[in-house]
Amino acid sequence: MWGYVVRRTLQMIPTVLGVILITFVLFNVVGGSPAAMTLGRHVSPRMLEEFDELRGFNKPLIFGWWTGTRAWDAAAFRRGGMHWPGAAAADGGGQRMAPGEYELRTAFELLPETVYRWDISFMEGGGAEVEFFCRGDVVPAGRTSEWRRVDGEWRRVLWRGGRSAGRAKVTVRVGAEPAGVLAGLRVRKASVMIRDIRLARRMEHPWDSQFIFYLRQLFPLELVHGAGGGWRLAWKGVDFGVSYATNQRVSRMLRDGIIPSLTLTVPIFFIGLMSGISLALVCAYFRDTWIDRFFVVFSVALMSINYLVWIVAGQYLLGYRLGWFPVWGYESWRYLLLPVLVGVISGLGVDIRFYRTIMLDEMYKDYVRTALAKGVGGAGILFRHVLKNAMIPVVTNTVIAIPFLYTGSLLLESFFGIPGLGYIGVNAVNSSDVDVLRAVVFIGAVLYVVANLLTDICYALVDPRVKIR
Amino acid sequence: MNTESVESLPESMTLWQDAWRRLRRRRLAMVCLAVVGLYTLAAMYGECVYWWYRLHDETPPYKRVNLAEQYQPPSFLRSPFGGRETGRMSSLERFLHGLKALGHHPLGTDGLGRDVLQRVIQGTRIAYQVGIVTSLIAIPIGVVLGCLAGYFGGRVDDFIVWLYSTFACIPGLLFILAIAMVVGKGLLGVYLGIGLTMWVGLCRLIRGEVIKHKERPYVTAARALGLGHFRIIFRHILPNVFHVVIVTFTLRFPYAIGTEVIMSFLGIGVQGEPSWGIMISNARLRLWHGVWWEMAAATAAIFGIVLAFNLLGDALRDALDPRLRTGR
Repeated sequence: MWGYVVRRTLQMIPTVLGVILITFVLFNVVGGSPAAMTLGRHVSPRMLEEFDELRGFNKPLIFGWWTGTRAWDAAAFRRGGMHWPGAAAADGGGQRMAPGEYELRTAFELLPETVYRWDISFMEGGGAEVEFFCRGDVVPAGRTSEWRRVDGEWRRVLWRGGRSAGRAKVTVRVGAEPAGVLAGLRVRKASVMIRDIRLARRMEHPWDSQFIFYLRQLFPLELVHGAGGGWRLAWKGVDFGVSYATNQRVSRMLRDGIIPSLTLTVPIFFIGLMSGISLALVCAYFRDTWIDRFFVVFSVALMSINYLVWIVAGQYLLGYRLGWFPVWGYESWRYLLLPVLVGVISGLGVDIRFYRTIMLDEMYKDYVRTALAKGVGGAGILFRHVLKNAMIPVVTNTVIAIPFLYTGSLLLESFFGIPGLGYIGVNAVNSSDVDVLRAVVFIGAVLYVVANLLTDICYALVDPRVKIR
Repeated sequence: MNTESVESLPESMTLWQDAWRRLRRRRLAMVCLAVVGLYTLAAMYGECVYWWYRLHDETPPYKRVNLAEQYQPPSFLRSPFGGRETGRMSSLERFLHGLKALGHHPLGTDGLGRDVLQRVIQGTRIAYQVGIVTSLIAIPIGVVLGCLAGYFGGRVDDFIVWLYSTFACIPGLLFILAIAMVVGKGLLGVYLGIGLTMWVGLCRLIRGEVIKHKERPYVTAARALGLGHFRIIFRHILPNVFHVVIVTFTLRFPYAIGTEVIMSFLGIGVQGEPSWGIMISNARLRLWHGVWWEMAAATAAIFGIVLAFNLLGDALRDALDPRLRTGR
């Protein structure tokens, strides 16, 4: 038994890793930084960078030394939006720069004690010479043989116009006090076409990436130096970051949301289960009569009515017209009646159909025929034999519904004003609150995996055949 | 061998002929098929209207604001055959006038004086677009992955099973909303959100079927003939499990439509076009003022198509897969 439990628990690991991977790919790789989306268009690059810094979006994706920075707007350069005298936007992107001095002015001060890399692509042609210079607390990094120190600034010739296009990379280290204009280009002899200028920041560690940042949020195990010397592992508590929209810690929001969610979904779950099974039993008992047929058609009709319609009609007819229930809010148990009713009814169609199929499958098995032959009555067969054997598929279906307990009431919560996780989730989608949404999705998935595990263990306890597999 | 008895056997039927014969015998299924056909025609008509006005660069009637005709109830409630102006008309004239009045905003108008019937038809167009495009995304993924997993087994199977069980354990609607949020509001988000989550069930079913078929004699024969793996999978096994695809498609189509309605209602779906979800969302507030017809029209339209597809899907399943009979 224990061997089975351990084996089954180990099988959970790849699925959880898969969930981590999928949420990472969805939100970080495909989605990218939501800073511009959440903060709006007219925000300074510094604020965007700070938003990213807090959420780890300004790191390399999985592994890498270099990462982008919003201090330099490469797209604006390509469009010709730098407003340099002597420079003009060229067709097809880039700028034509006449001889002169051009400052590479960054949108905000670069980070102190950090290595940056300028990456400049030149178009072919011309006899121009381009020199890179930097002043003040900016010094060359890496190989310094090509650099000269003249008049208190470092200079390096990047490009002497040739027949082929070229690209030069300059690595500089910003010192402790980054201030003022620090770097620039000096064009001599003839004008030059520059296609692109990019700026990248070097990470202190190549594994300091978005993926590791995310993993460390989920598994905050850290090696800390103990007081008495020596190292120990410390668990710092799972941290899902900070919500942009509400400025609260996400883990706290989730903790507050779980109770309202459960007060809504647990009654729906049990009442739905009970009514579904009892109506299915009625169908099975009266099979091939008009009662059974009525319920079959009835359940398909129930299934075909959209969830929204139940909510809107319930609020309008029962809440507003008849005034039986309050329509919006979460103040006392009376506020839960209508959403629970709507939840039960909207799920009833699927439940009846499903349980009826299960019951009928059992009804045609050999042991039922044997029992009938022995003279057991209809109700006896139904309750003593069929119901018991039908429990296994019923339990499976129950587990499929477990994540519903957690988020399935998404719509109910947001339209009845119940401050649960579904409400939080829908709000997060509407305000592009990535941290909250990612946490809600992740926890939902993990709960599902755990619920699956528990069912399988229950199976093994109840049904000895399961362990043999 | 007695050759005569062989000749006297009834003509053999293909699976599809047999399924069609079974389907035709069920009156309800045929009614549903007719309903689906009607909706399809409406969707095609809506598509034509959409493109006509788009190519002529005019505002289509379902978007044209007409504040003079705000909140008109459906024409049959406006007593089209009576009224003051018909007083001095002959009975034929009155009848013709009544017919004309009946055709004028037959389902009433909404708060901006837009024709509800036209908007419902446009909603049908969008629902069909969503159903078809999401199926075009989900079915190839599900079929290809399911076939590969079932046929090759081993590592491939492990990987694909891992992939779909991972997808399956992420809460459905939330996952769809998250995909739509990442992709951006609009139809593309709806397509990708629903399409990229809908393949899981199909993949699981196809994999199971392919595993069953893999050991059948006809596959062994094909292998003995030296056919390549892909030829065996896609030319020999796939046609035999294709009924699963058809049934899943019919049952998933209404699901996609319903999800689109919910997404549009939440404001993440269709933007600027009259989808059913947007209609319900607009009509919800007007319901409080007694304007029920916009709500009723959208609701009835959704109900009709989802019901028709659900019943048709059940009938198709019974007709195509005798082992899965639910009706008994």
